[in-house]
Amino acid sequence: MRYLFFSLVVFYSLSANSQTADQIIAQLVGKINLVKDYSVKANIKADIPMIKVLPVNATIYFKQKDKFKVVSKGIAILPKQGFTDVSSFLSNKNTYVAVDGGLKALNGVQTHVVTVIPTVDNSDIVLAKLWIDTKNKVILKTDLTTRGSGSVTMNYVYGTQLAFGLPDQITFTVDIKKFKMPKSISSDINNSEKAKKSKSKIGTITIKLSGYLVNKGISDEFFKKKN
Amino acid sequence: MLLRNTYNEFIKIIAKPRSYIGLGVLTALIFVILFAMKADGTSFVSFVTASFEQTLSFNGNILNGNLIAFIILQMLIVHIPLLVALVTGDLISGEAAMGTIRMLATKPISRTNIVLSKFIAGAVYTLILTLWLAFLALVVVKWMFGTGDLIVLNSSGLIILQEQDIMWRYLCSFFVAYLALLTVSSLSICLSAFAENSIGPIVSTMGIIILFTIIGSMDVTVFDSIKKFLFTTHMASWRSFFEDPVKMKNIWESIVILVVHNILLVAIAIIKFNKKDITS
Repeated sequence: MRYLFFSLVVFYSLSANSQTADQIIAQLVGKINLVKDYSVKANIKADIPMIKVLPVNATIYFKQKDKFKVVSKGIAILPKQGFTDVSSFLSNKNTYVAVDGGLKALNGVQTHVVTVIPTVDNSDIVLAKLWIDTKNKVILKTDLTTRGSGSVTMNYVYGTQLAFGLPDQITFTVDIKKFKMPKSISSDINNSEKAKKSKSKIGTITIKLSGYLVNKGISDEFFKKKN
Repeated sequence: MLLRNTYNEFIKIIAKPRSYIGLGVLTALIFVILFAMKADGTSFVSFVTASFEQTLSFNGNILNGNLIAFIILQMLIVHIPLLVALVTGDLISGEAAMGTIRMLATKPISRTNIVLSKFIAGAVYTLILTLWLAFLALVVVKWMFGTGDLIVLNSSGLIILQEQDIMWRYLCSFFVAYLALLTVSSLSICLSAFAENSIGPIVSTMGIIILFTIIGSMDVTVFDSIKKFLFTTHMASWRSFFEDPVKMKNIWESIVILVVHNILLVAIAIIKFNKKDITS
């Protein structure tokens, strides 16, 4: 009888937590869906092992559900995944299950940790752990594990566009695989330095976003055009 | 007299059909590269960024005129010495083979000045070749592909140079590349002073370049002490301008070694030509 009671309590608490996680995600998706499209000016600063690049200004365009374009006069480095993947992944609620991870304070803000696990085989996302500010219905941090691009951690800072859930700054921390530059590729045969291997495995890309134009309408053709 | 004879020597160079082979081949090679880049440039770019593309995406106009100019300079700087030697290797020995050197030696000009005028004429020809390369790479290519940031892959990683920070690097690079080609010109003129036929100095110049390049590229410690004294090691020092920060110490070292090579090779040619028993 005692075991039955204990099992019921565990089952009830798990199902209650799962429901809560689903509700939180549903609220989050509702906020994400407020934004049909946007354009924003971005200042991209990349600090990646074995890459030297100065900060670059660019304009980022997004349209639901996953249309994304970066227009930059210079060469802008962004993580392969993480910019729009989470929102488009969460939008299709039949493809994942959300598990409640409890409450956790993040930079002084009380967050709800939700782990999202895909239920379909072809998903590139293996696991997404979200720190959600339930009060403002925004994600403050994401730990994304993907098949193709390893792990990406995103930290969001909100300001002017909190009402739309759009951040003013995103910091990506990417898991950089060890790069080796063979002499044959660098074609630098007269350089006496031996080909180097990167020691650091963590790269950081900080994107400061300003001047949002939300829901002004961007045509699909625009995303097909080359820069 | 030196300048007048230099002018005559330059007239002789431009009168030879082979002098235009260099310009023609250079133009053809650049247009082949441009065609290849236009047709399949994106796969070339992904070859450069492949090591990073699993995690990162590169946005913007990567395949621009600046990158293609860099590729052209990198590809052709190895082959242009042949085009230079084709003309300058013939300057003394060609006259010996044709029998005109004796007449030249009877002119009221010292043998030293004859060699110097040939060296200057060869230097002007090399300069024209370099300027033509610069014009095609920096003007025509940029006109066709536009401009933008330059992405350079070297042994220390990937460097992205901003558009406004590139032109001075190219100008300095072309100067150092010219100095390297001038060394090839001096070498072939020096060898030309020893020969009685046209082919020998041209083939010997290329042979020396190939030999020194192979020694320079071998990771064998026994060659480490001599590598830095080989002029071929410094032929690629133009690339140092595309480092960040620019390794000025290495560049100055290369410039000094190339200038010393030029002086020594011309001096050897003068000594040999002054002692030469001209019987042809």
